[in-house]
Amino acid sequence: MIIIRCPYCHEDRHEEELEYGGEADIARPTPPAQATDDAWTDYLYMRTNPRGVHFEQWCCRAGCGQWFKVARHTVTHDITEVIRYEDRFAYQKDRDA
Amino acid sequence: MSRRPAHHRLPEGGCIDRSRPVRFSFNGRQMTGYAGDTLASALLANGVDVIARSFKYRRPRGFFGSGLEDPLAMLAVRDAYGYDAAIRAAQVPLADGMAVHANTGWPLSSFDVGGLIRPFARFIKAGFYYKTFMWPNWRWFEPLIRRTTGFGRIDAIAAVRPAERVHASCDVLVIGGGTAGMAAAHALINSGHEVVLADDRPRLGGALAWTDADIDGRTADAWLHDRSAAIADADNIHLLSSTVVTGAYEGNVFTMLQYVHANDGVVLQRHWKLRVGKVILATGSVERPLVFPGNDRPGIMLASAMSRYIREFAVIPATRVCVFTNNDAGYDAAFTASRAGIDVACVIDTRDVPPVRLQSALEAEGISQMTGSEIIHTHGSTRLSGITVRARSGGAARRIDCDGLALAGGVSPLVHLAAHRGIKPVYDPDVAAFVPGAWPENWTGAGDVQTPMTPDQAAASGVAAASQVLGKKQDVADAVPNPFNIEAYWRPPTGDAGMMFVDLQNDVTVADIELAAREGYVSVEHLKRYTTLGMGTDQGRTSNINGLAIMAGLSGRDITEVGTTTFRPPYTAVPMGAVAANRTGPLYRAARYLPAHDIHDAAGAVFEDVGWLRPDWYRQNGKGREAAVLKEMAAARHAVGLFDGSPLGKIEVAGPDARAFLDLFYVSNIMTLKPGRIRYSLMLHVDGVIFDDGVVTCIDDTLFVVGCSSGNADAVAAWLERWHQTEWPSMQVAVAPVTSNWASIAVAGPRARDVLAALNPDVDISSTAFPHMSFREGAIGGMMSRVSRVSFTGELQYEINVPAAQGDALLERLMEIAAPMGGCLVGLEAWLRLRLEKGYLHVGADTNGRTTPLDLGMGGIIDKKPGDFIGRRSLSLAYAVSADREQLVGIKCTAAPLRAGGRILAGDDTRPPCRSEGYVTSACFSPSLGFHVGLALLENGSERMGETVRIYDDGDIIKAEVCRPGAYDPDNERLMA
Repeated sequence: MIIIRCPYCHEDRHEEELEYGGEADIARPTPPAQATDDAWTDYLYMRTNPRGVHFEQWCCRAGCGQWFKVARHTVTHDITEVIRYEDRFAYQKDRDA
Repeated sequence: MSRRPAHHRLPEGGCIDRSRPVRFSFNGRQMTGYAGDTLASALLANGVDVIARSFKYRRPRGFFGSGLEDPLAMLAVRDAYGYDAAIRAAQVPLADGMAVHANTGWPLSSFDVGGLIRPFARFIKAGFYYKTFMWPNWRWFEPLIRRTTGFGRIDAIAAVRPAERVHASCDVLVIGGGTAGMAAAHALINSGHEVVLADDRPRLGGALAWTDADIDGRTADAWLHDRSAAIADADNIHLLSSTVVTGAYEGNVFTMLQYVHANDGVVLQRHWKLRVGKVILATGSVERPLVFPGNDRPGIMLASAMSRYIREFAVIPATRVCVFTNNDAGYDAAFTASRAGIDVACVIDTRDVPPVRLQSALEAEGISQMTGSEIIHTHGSTRLSGITVRARSGGAARRIDCDGLALAGGVSPLVHLAAHRGIKPVYDPDVAAFVPGAWPENWTGAGDVQTPMTPDQAAASGVAAASQVLGKKQDVADAVPNPFNIEAYWRPPTGDAGMMFVDLQNDVTVADIELAAREGYVSVEHLKRYTTLGMGTDQGRTSNINGLAIMAGLSGRDITEVGTTTFRPPYTAVPMGAVAANRTGPLYRAARYLPAHDIHDAAGAVFEDVGWLRPDWYRQNGKGREAAVLKEMAAARHAVGLFDGSPLGKIEVAGPDARAFLDLFYVSNIMTLKPGRIRYSLMLHVDGVIFDDGVVTCIDDTLFVVGCSSGNADAVAAWLERWHQTEWPSMQVAVAPVTSNWASIAVAGPRARDVLAALNPDVDISSTAFPHMSFREGAIGGMMSRVSRVSFTGELQYEINVPAAQGDALLERLMEIAAPMGGCLVGLEAWLRLRLEKGYLHVGADTNGRTTPLDLGMGGIIDKKPGDFIGRRSLSLAYAVSADREQLVGIKCTAAPLRAGGRILAGDDTRPPCRSEGYVTSACFSPSLGFHVGLALLENGSERMGETVRIYDDGDIIKAEVCRPGAYDPDNERLMA
């Protein structure tokens, strides 16, 4: 069972209390009207689907209702990072630095 | 049934309580056992030896195991609290008044006409189902197969056994209450950790109940007694007996099933979810049988099962037994039987040179021994009556008479729970067993589950596991490798492979495995699915390892290379009722009532649960539904109808950016929506497909109300919130779902304005002052109200919203006013037909998972909108603009009734099979128009107005005309009145 501590209300929430929201940091092309068909269909459908660490969105549905971001291993379900929605994952900060 | 003597119980011994007889019935026959018996031991003690007919070949079968591993004895059991259609006799504690029936065999398991199928058995080989599905025709075989297969009969009036759910947590979970688990739990007493000790049996001790052993220099009995008492007294050890751990999940969450027993049955099933810090797996091992021709006859059982029946339950399972073994442990069954006074004819050992001490011990008991030998035949018409034995090196065969045979083929550690967490068991040829190669994080193993070991070693390993949990270092003597001196023996090299049963539950023989090997199904996962090996309710506990070892031999690989199939939860069958527990009826989903529910009820409403309990129609003087619906429709068309629309979604969107925010969601332009005005529009998914339709009301520039469909009320609010949080967090806007704050009554019909006027509104309600698609707030009937002039029916219509607490008062007033005008309450069915006459769509019914606004002909509205909205870019992708899309059209016909679901046949085709070009999404008879009307999704429909199409409806072909939706009041004169 997946258990995640919500970074907003700071409660442990198990998967029945959470909502899964797919991969995180999929950028919506703006303005959409100027996106090519390929860029737009990539935004709609293309996901990394890794065997390993996956960066994804979860919502504290039965709790405070906030969306946040999680790094989860898709094989072991190990949760290695839980961040507020506006924050960046560690690997992104490393890359920025 | 049996040629055996009437006495099947030893005069003394066992863990049964002879002072408390327990009466039960089997197939209608009254029988008696004792408290402490399992159903299996009680049946054996009553001389029942044939308990089932096998799955495919209808061969007679008896008790093969003594616990969860038993592949055969699945019985229908009714106790004082419920009914189990198929439960393993060996796992059921005997209870007073239990009524038990055999599940297979007609008229009796011991005499089964289905046994006549046996001559045809060669036609039901491996892959039979797959092959028959393909050729010649599955339907020829299906009726026969359906009748003769399966375990258990559903009882339509079965009592529902009480069940409850428990969520809990603890520091340490010890799984298994045998020697190792008890030693571990004992070592954790007063450790400061909260410990749960879960064991699937009613009594602690596991195999100690039937094993001779010295532990820590004491007898097994003394050790067991001492440890049990200490564990029972310890405050920090929570003993859950009769509790099976059924699944292990990430985060160290476990599911468990606990049976709470009373004298007359299982009074409660408790389904646990337990979150755990550390885990000690002490599940032990299960014995494997040996494979040889005729190894499935009643009277043949695992050596450990025979020992257990004799010692734990004081049962005499046979009068003259043989033992067939490839290791030292099998000899225990011979000694146990002999010391219980049962005649032991011979121990047949596949090994050439067994330990001398065993030979001496056999001599002392007067038991003969054959070494380097194997069984080549068994005899008996129903029960076993003898075996034929021969030296493995060849030579003369010798027949030995016996009615019992104990099989000891080595043990398999019960690694299932660790495997649920992804641990792959590895083959250890020294002990001929798959052992856990590693443990999941925060797990450790204790006892036999690690590798076969003696009870003394198991106790030491339990203590060591506890030390590890406590973070202490402790030296443990390594287990002696191969303490039982096993030499692998998987199958006889010759003999009738079709009679060598590997999986006794699914009747899979060595011949089936050979066939699978020949046809290339050599991977274990393919082998399993092709032959059904290990797919039964016993999950192949006694058969999997033998099966894959035989496959390894056939395909010239070693066992390590073949590997095991994947273990998945649950560990053993879990009743669905225990999982559901009390989540049934209103506790499954709370009923939602309309604010004016009682008034609807008093008015004769027939409620339908559509998420809310809503009136479908109203009973009138004993008339049926159809007459009532037509009368309600007539009232709305000719006078006035009152419809409770309270469940319609209402979401307030407020803030300086509210207008711009909503403009991003709707296909229509919200930027131009003036205060006091309402606009109908659609909301799309990102891929352009319609998500919801509804009306947006502008109360003022910073406050809007989103009206959405009832079923989407929660989803739309979550959708708005999600986009706000994740895509446009800087927009100053707040989203508040307020659906249940308001009662909403729609007043529809030519007299609607008269009804509203009678409520003395403090706002001007004339058509010029309060036109269609506008909104007013004011005191109406003395209540603060929000009134929208919108229409779902095509009539002049107002929706009056008042605070929910005033919903009943409003509805009562409206009914008083409407009645003299010929008005009445209108239910959901009439309401939906009214909108269908008008041609308005119902999202979800008239749209599907592909429909875009372009398919509804709304391209013009979109073209006029300057701004972006969610899904807009997708509407110019190739799939959205292709010529063969299904578009929403109206259809009508005069003759036959139209029904939703009818398929529209392609072009010139008059009969299926043929291509379909669309389907009818909604349909009804229109009393106002005098013909049948409907909506349909039809390929390229917008270009096909006036065309006659053929619709296939459950065998009939109906001709209908394609038209624009909304044949009723096409010029909207009534709407705008």
